[in-house]
Amino acid sequence: MEQLYSLAVDAAQSSGTGERFVQTLTRLLSFNVTSCLTLSVILFAIGAWGVLARRNVLVMLLSVEMMLNAVMLAFITLGRAHATLGGTTGENGQIFALFIIAIAAAEAAVGLAIVVTYFRNRGTVDTRDITSLRN
Amino acid sequence: MAWADVVFLLCAAVMVLSACAIVTRKNPVYSVICMLPFMLGMSLLFALLQAPFLAAMQLMVYGGAILVVFLFVIMLINLRPEELKDDFDIFGYFVPVLGVAILAGLVAACGMLDTNKGSRLDKGFASEVDGKFGSIADLSGPLFKTWVVPFELVSVLIVVAILGAVVLAKKKA
Repeated sequence: MEQLYSLAVDAAQSSGTGERFVQTLTRLLSFNVTSCLTLSVILFAIGAWGVLARRNVLVMLLSVEMMLNAVMLAFITLGRAHATLGGTTGENGQIFALFIIAIAAAEAAVGLAIVVTYFRNRGTVDTRDITSLRN
Repeated sequence: MAWADVVFLLCAAVMVLSACAIVTRKNPVYSVICMLPFMLGMSLLFALLQAPFLAAMQLMVYGGAILVVFLFVIMLINLRPEELKDDFDIFGYFVPVLGVAILAGLVAACGMLDTNKGSRLDKGFASEVDGKFGSIADLSGPLFKTWVVPFELVSVLIVVAILGAVVLAKKKA
């Protein structure tokens, strides 16, 4: 066991893994493409968690909005990176984010209308009770 | 540490914490209220990424319109506290652990397989693009030339969505 451990430490030191790990960490804790995209991934994952784990339709819709926001962040980050590297079409990322805002507004309007209608007819917003299409 | 790093880290912390709060609060009113710091942080981040128009849109459309509509619906539905059942199962608490593990694995893998050391993007992207980037004048060119058809389709989509919402929510006579 000790031999295995020292072998692993040797391999890590000779390939510079620890150094690279520290570099990755510093990069993640400053403002650049990597950190912005990582934040976007984290927010998207939290939104997906909300959609999968919650049973309240309203909170599920909120989580969907959160996921859309994370995607907007990714679009804007990559557009900015494109412009930083000398590209000329970096604005397209922002324009797509604008489209996402519009579509999110439409989605919220229709989704909430469905929730209100369902609640009026059945008196619940819990997905465990929304089973009229089952079987 | 540059000031942009500090602002970014603050925004990221606020957004991740409020996102977790949105998912874990039992009462949907608290979830919607936690959405507000999330939107503020996102808007600040857009401003930091040189997208001032998007930052304003984010505040107006999300913070101003969508959140208010959510609050209205929650008040219309008016769930009493005793109707709020426990909303999480074991699965719901297990998933974030798995997610954090996967993220840590990805970060470690990226650190080990890193090949583009010293890229310009690594040093952050503050003040490397001319000030015109992301302004309304800069956005409107491609929006009304390259993307004019999607733009018009979005307006059709919004009209359809409004009509659909009205038809759905109208009380049957």
